[in-house]
Amino acid sequence: MDNLKNILSGLSTDVDQETLLQYLQGKLTDEQRQAVEEKLMDNSFEEDAMEGLQEFKDKQQISYVVEALNRDLKRKVEKKKKRRDKMKLKVQSTLYIVILIFILLIVFSYWIIHKMLQP
Amino acid sequence: MAIFPVVNTEKYESLSDQQLLDKFYADHDNTWLGIILQRYTLLLLGVCMKYLKNEEEAKDSVQQIFLKVIQELHKYKVEYFKSWLYMVAKNHCLMKLRSGHGKISAELHNEMIAAPEEEDKAEIALTEKTLDLMKASLEELNNEQRQCVTLFYLDKKSYQHISEETGFSMMQVKSYIQNGKRNLKILIEKKLKQGSSK
Repeated sequence: MDNLKNILSGLSTDVDQETLLQYLQGKLTDEQRQAVEEKLMDNSFEEDAMEGLQEFKDKQQISYVVEALNRDLKRKVEKKKKRRDKMKLKVQSTLYIVILIFILLIVFSYWIIHKMLQP
Repeated sequence: MAIFPVVNTEKYESLSDQQLLDKFYADHDNTWLGIILQRYTLLLLGVCMKYLKNEEEAKDSVQQIFLKVIQELHKYKVEYFKSWLYMVAKNHCLMKLRSGHGKISAELHNEMIAAPEEEDKAEIALTEKTLDLMKASLEELNNEQRQCVTLFYLDKKSYQHISEETGFSMMQVKSYIQNGKRNLKILIEKKLKQGSSK
């Protein structure tokens, strides 16, 4: 009866990437394979991905490709972050200079007025 | 969640995509995007490979999608990241195919707030009555569909196992299960409707 419920449930949970990779590399038991396939049935993203991944000639290479892509992603994220930090620093320095000039102007004006008022 | 993470994600594993996205929208720090995106590297690679049928182009496309997401995401409020990313990936590949694998010019504005797919997700209340109806409806499916649905859902056999047992190809098995499941739902809904109109 419980198994019957699964046909209609439509409640899909995500399959983690590690399990998908094991599935592709044939490292799962028949029962585990069925569980993955059942979850994929309700996840278009994962299902499409699995279809594509099965077309890779060397399934063992997929891990290295993913690792290289993640490394590239890290570079992209850091580059953007560095550029943002640089911009932030630039804006901050400009702000400090403007404040300093403003303070100097006030001090100078005070000094001039003070001199003029002296007998 | 991510395999071979390059961005250190261990302490953020318990955070959902939505929580990470909220953090990104709060401080616009791309590190958050790095953590979310590497959860999907394998899936993106698979989707690109499915459409482009070329390993090198699939890899290049994943890199381009990463860049696009990093450049574009701060401009819009995305509600369902996974669905949105899937749509971005599909659009990217389709645009690439359309432009003869040339430079792409995909616009990401449309359907930014893509909701999770609703297809086949309409829930039927799982009562005793529904389960009885399901048993009856299962008998109404054609032989191939009934055989594959039974072996897959009730006997918990994998596609490969069913293929070996029945002699159907893996693609046929998958198709019989998908169609069988859809037909089963239609039959039950029809029976429930008839029952309520009586």
